[in-house]
Parts: sequence; structure tokens; C-alpha cells
Amino acid sequence: MKLHRLAPAGVPLAFLLAMLVVPTLALLGQASAIDPLALWRDPYLRWRLLWSIAQAALTCAAALAVGLPVAWVLARLEFAGRGALLRALMLPFVVPTLVAALGVLALLGPRGVVAQPLGLDLEGTPWLLLYGNLFFNLCLVVRAGVEALERVSASRVAAARTLGATSWRAFWRVEWPAIVPWLASALCLVFLYCFSGFGLALVLGGQRWATVDVEVYRLVAHQLALDEAAALALWTLATMAAMAWLYAAIERRLAQPARADAVPRVEPRTLRQRAAVLAAVLTVVAVSLAPLLALLWRAASAGAQAWGVLLDAEVLAAMGRTLGFSSTALVLATGLGLALGWAAQHALWLRAVAFAPLVVSPVIVAFGLLIAYPRATASLWLLLATYALLALPFVAKSVAAGLDAVPPNWVQAARTLGASPWRAFWRVTLPTIRPSLKRGVAFAAATMLGEFAATLFLSRPEWTTLTTLIYQRLGRAGSANLDAALVLAVVLLALAATALWLIEGRAPARPPAAALPP
Amino acid sequence: MLELRNIVVHYDARLLLRNVSLSVPAGQTVALLGASGSGKSTLLRVAAGLERPDAGSVRWAGEDITDWPPERRRFALMFQDFALFAHLDVQDNVAFGLIEQRVPRREARERAREMLRLFGLDGRTRDRVTQLSGGEQQRVALARALITSPRALLLDEPFSALDADLRRHLRSEFATRIRDAGMAAVLVTHDEDEARAMATQGWRLRDGEVETAW
Repeated sequence: MKLHRLAPAGVPLAFLLAMLVVPTLALLGQASAIDPLALWRDPYLRWRLLWSIAQAALTCAAALAVGLPVAWVLARLEFAGRGALLRALMLPFVVPTLVAALGVLALLGPRGVVAQPLGLDLEGTPWLLLYGNLFFNLCLVVRAGVEALERVSASRVAAARTLGATSWRAFWRVEWPAIVPWLASALCLVFLYCFSGFGLALVLGGQRWATVDVEVYRLVAHQLALDEAAALALWTLATMAAMAWLYAAIERRLAQPARADAVPRVEPRTLRQRAAVLAAVLTVVAVSLAPLLALLWRAASAGAQAWGVLLDAEVLAAMGRTLGFSSTALVLATGLGLALGWAAQHALWLRAVAFAPLVVSPVIVAFGLLIAYPRATASLWLLLATYALLALPFVAKSVAAGLDAVPPNWVQAARTLGASPWRAFWRVTLPTIRPSLKRGVAFAAATMLGEFAATLFLSRPEWTTLTTLIYQRLGRAGSANLDAALVLAVVLLALAATALWLIEGRAPARPPAAALPP
Repeated sequence: MLELRNIVVHYDARLLLRNVSLSVPAGQTVALLGASGSGKSTLLRVAAGLERPDAGSVRWAGEDITDWPPERRRFALMFQDFALFAHLDVQDNVAFGLIEQRVPRREARERAREMLRLFGLDGRTRDRVTQLSGGEQQRVALARALITSPRALLLDEPFSALDADLRRHLRSEFATRIRDAGMAAVLVTHDEDEARAMATQGWRLRDGEVETAW
């Protein structure tokens, strides 16, 4: 390996060292004050850890049970609106966490669009959180399932059928073994996202069903129990690292570039096939669209007084800060991501490094930064750098994926036509990776606009963003505040959608490489 | 004159090229024959500056240019798969090298259109290269290579992606155009008929060494 090829990674690696490694080491130091096993002897904290694992596992099971049939329909049947259904599935991925939480409340919470007519009272139960988790993660399982099913060899399925297998037996004995690694990879990510979930758990979990990340926040912000919080954070990190290792191990097995002779999609002709399509559409509507539709409905019917909140100076300032913080950090993340993604072409380990900020949750990152840099607490640069850190994987992995698609002899052709290395990058490589880069930047922008956990930890009261403002309104009594929160959530959703549209130029067909299994 | 002197290249600890020397006078086309994996394309990449030899030197008009980067050598390389840029249209592909020579974009495009007219592609200037047939892509690649008046033209199996009829038709057309351009040209191929039709002199690479074919 020639070292000069890794040189572009120098700055991003230094950034990751300062923003990720040093804070983790600081957490280790802080946690060493108490016996890490003591947490497991405390019934309250033991419950938090076990529930966090359980709710992530339950979401995995639900996502598999619901997502696999939907994936099968999308992979095997050709019907009008199939593309729109795929896009609708990916919609939750760009929805900020708090917006999703409010969507779930608008649907199933008190006075919810569905809960009220049915007389459902789900407050104080785990169902709101589990449904919110499913809303966010169904797309991961469905997309992995569709990709995997499209790679199943048609001739193998045909061979199984001619050897006497029914269609169900052919699925079970030929297709299922082929798609299991893909699904396992997606489920690892689902587990990671749910285990370290913060916004949804904070709003929907209440006191009893909150996750470890929420507990870490409470210990730090409300009780100043830093040692206990650090020990809990380390257990979280250990669990996530184990899951990330499992994910990486599965990913290596998936590294098969050749695409098999795919099973062709057929138009639904039988009653069963048509029923399957209808069920898939209803499932996507019920899981991926209903919370957003309920949010829009509740906000639209909130009345002029609720919408009047948009004229408040506080709200306008929060909008300005949200846009300002996000765009500044986006510029930083794009520069760092380009350099890291470029260097990752020559060293596979850098791809794993680029993925690291996704493995460590924003709460743990923010808490680690507070301990590592106490003097910089509540400084604007730290907040912006944290935003950039959380956006970095989206950009870096998208750049790496884009560069993978550039034929190597294009750059060589440009060089023999008189272009210097920089000019070859500017005129050939950059235009070629632009779609992939734009997708990564678009998702990074959506992520930053909706950033909540790190902002709650690191920002000053006078730096209120839209997410923290929504959270403040939710914490105040009265339906007027809930209505105002719903309106602000719609505004945040509109901002995220606008950012995506402006950057990517069209509705996102799929999330960037950083967020999904291959 | 393009000269390769005592070129040595290892590939994965295997000696691929062993003291290979050859020279190509300006205005002449020489063919380099050899089986797959014999090192023909590697030798061409060494000449173009895309690979550095473990030993030996590349010279132009007597000057050692081994350490020169590809863009300074002004040797145009035509790739087996053409390596046309899919994000640019036909005229911008052809104008690419001129723009690198700081020719104003408008003038570069005008000259590209003129070149394309000579190549019978004046109706396709604004098309995407992916919309072209194999033969048309081949012509665009040659036009792109020739428009900057390079000192040498390096052709790496330029016809291998085309069907037999088109190959026969294009090789005589190419031979004429290269001769008219009056530059040193190296044709790498494994097809001896093609080599004899286009080149005045032939070399064969075998076991890492070069020998005269005709």
C-alpha cells in the first residue's frame, strides 16, 4: 500500500480521532470509577438494558415477519405502482426522528386519528415505541429482501420445481437459504438503530419503556450521575460493537459481485397473487405512510392559532439556526467525506472507519464529548463538528460507492489526453460520482435538519433548533402546545423534503450506501 | 522517434517483461503481437506513463521521459473498450484533450465538430456516447485521440470489441487516417492479419522477450 494514496484520509482520520476515539476513551476513564457489573445488580438499570435489547429484538422479528412478504411481492410480481410503493417505503428514512414520533402520536396517541375512533389507549404501553421502530426500519428489511430475491438463480428454482417441489417448498429449500444472509445483515442494522434509539424512545417510551440511551441522557442531564451514565454507555457501546462486528462478518459473505439469472417478475393473475399485492400495499400504507398522513391531518386540522406559531420570533429564529447549523456542518462533512471516501478506494479498512459514527449513537458521542472536552462544552464549534460527524458516514460511503462505479481506464484516458491528476478528478471522476455524492449529501442534510439527540446534549438554551423546540412544546401541558408541536413537525418534515429535493433533484429512490446493506 | 530501452516489469513477483527494447520512427505504425498475458498492454501502459517500469527507460527524440507524467508525454492511448466518458456528449469527448491544452471551450468544440465531420459523425455531435454503435464509438475514440495532434498514438486492441465485418472495414480506414496524421503509432493486437494490414513492422512478445515478427 502506497502511503501517499492514503494521504487524503489524514484530516478526516484526525477528525474522527478527536470526535470519536478520544471521547470513547474518556468514557472508559469515567466509567472506571465504578464496577461495570454493578449495573447488572441494580434492578432498574438491568431492566433498562434488557428492555433495550428486547425491544430491538422484537422490532427485528416484526420487521422480518412484515417485511419479507412485502419484499417477495415487490421482487416477484410486476404491477402498476410498484415503483411508487418502493419509494413510499423509503420515505421514513428521511423523516426526522421527532417527526416520526409525533406522527405515531398523531395516529395512535391520545386523540389519535386511529386511536380515538377505536377507543384505543396505548399510552404507557410498549406498542407506540415498537410501532415507531417498525415505521423506521421496515424499509431496511424490505430493500434487503428485494435485492436478495432478485439475485436468486431462476434456474435453481426451476430445477427444484422440476424435481417435485411445490412453489412453497422451492421457496423454503432454494430461495430462503440464499436470502438469509441478506436479511441477517439488514436485521443487524435494524437492531443497531433500535437499540441505540433515542428520539422515539424519549417521546414514545415514557418512563417505563425508554431505552438505555434515554437513561444515559437522564442520568447526565437530570441527575449528574456521570460515572453511572458512563458505565451504562460502555455497555451500550459493547453491545453495538458486537452487533456491528456481526454485521461486518455477514457483509463479507455477501461480497458476490455476480448477479444470477434473476427470476422474472410476473403480472399478478391469480386471486392469491392479487390479494398478495393488495396486502403489500396496505401494509406499506399502514406502517410507512399512516403516521405521516396522520401528522399532516392533525396539523391541518389544528386551526389558525396553531399555525400562527410560525410567526413567533422564537420559531423563526429556530428555523434559521436549524438551517444555519445544518448547512455549515454539511459543507464540513462533504469535504471530509470526499477525502475519506477517496482514500477508502485504496484501503478497505477505511470503509469500516467511515461507518464508525453510525455504530456509536449520537447520545454516546455527545456524552463522550462532554467528558473529553469539558472546556468546550456548549461551544458552537463542538456542536457543528458533532453534526458533521453524524453526517460523515452518509457522504463518505456514497463517495466510495460512486468511485467503485468509475471505470479505472477513464481516468487513465483523461491523463493520456493531457489532464493532470487534479484535472482528471475535476473533469472525469467528480461528474461521474456526482449522482452518488448528491444522494449521500441529501440524506446527510435530512439527517442534520432532524438532529435531536446531540443537540439536546450540546446546545445552549439560546441555540434552540426546530427539534429542540418541538421537544420543549411537547413537554408543556395543554393541547395548544401539542398542536404547535405538530405544526412545527410538519415544517421540519417540509424542510427535510425540500433539502432532499434541492440537493438530489428528485424523490429519493433509495437511501445512500451508508444506511443500508448492499 | 519513440524508444523503449531495456524495459523490465514484474507482475506479482513474476517477470513479465525482460529487457524489452523497441523503437518506432515518426510516421510509422508498428504492431506488437502476443498471447493474452504476454505483457503487450503493460508495455503500452509503460510507454503512456500509466505504469512505471522496474528498470529501463522510455525516450522520445532521444530524451529520457521515463519520469514524465502521462499528460506531459502527449502520447494518446486508445483503450480496448474505448473509455469514452459517459457523462459527456460526443463533441465534448472529442474536445476533452483540447480543453486540457487551454484551448477556449467554444473553439475546442468547433474543432471537435470539424473532426467529427471528417469522421462522418457530424450528425451525432450532441448525442451521448452510449447512444452510439460500436463502430461509431470507435471512431469517436480515434477522433479524440488524434485531435490534439499527439506525438505518438498507442492502440490497445482497438478492434477487439467489434464484429468481424466492422473490424475489416475500420482497420483500413484507421490505417489511412493514422498514416495521414504522420505520427508514430504502436498497435497492440493478438490478430496477425490485422497487424499485417495496418503495420509496416511487427514485433512479437513471448516469455517476456520481444522478437521480430516481420
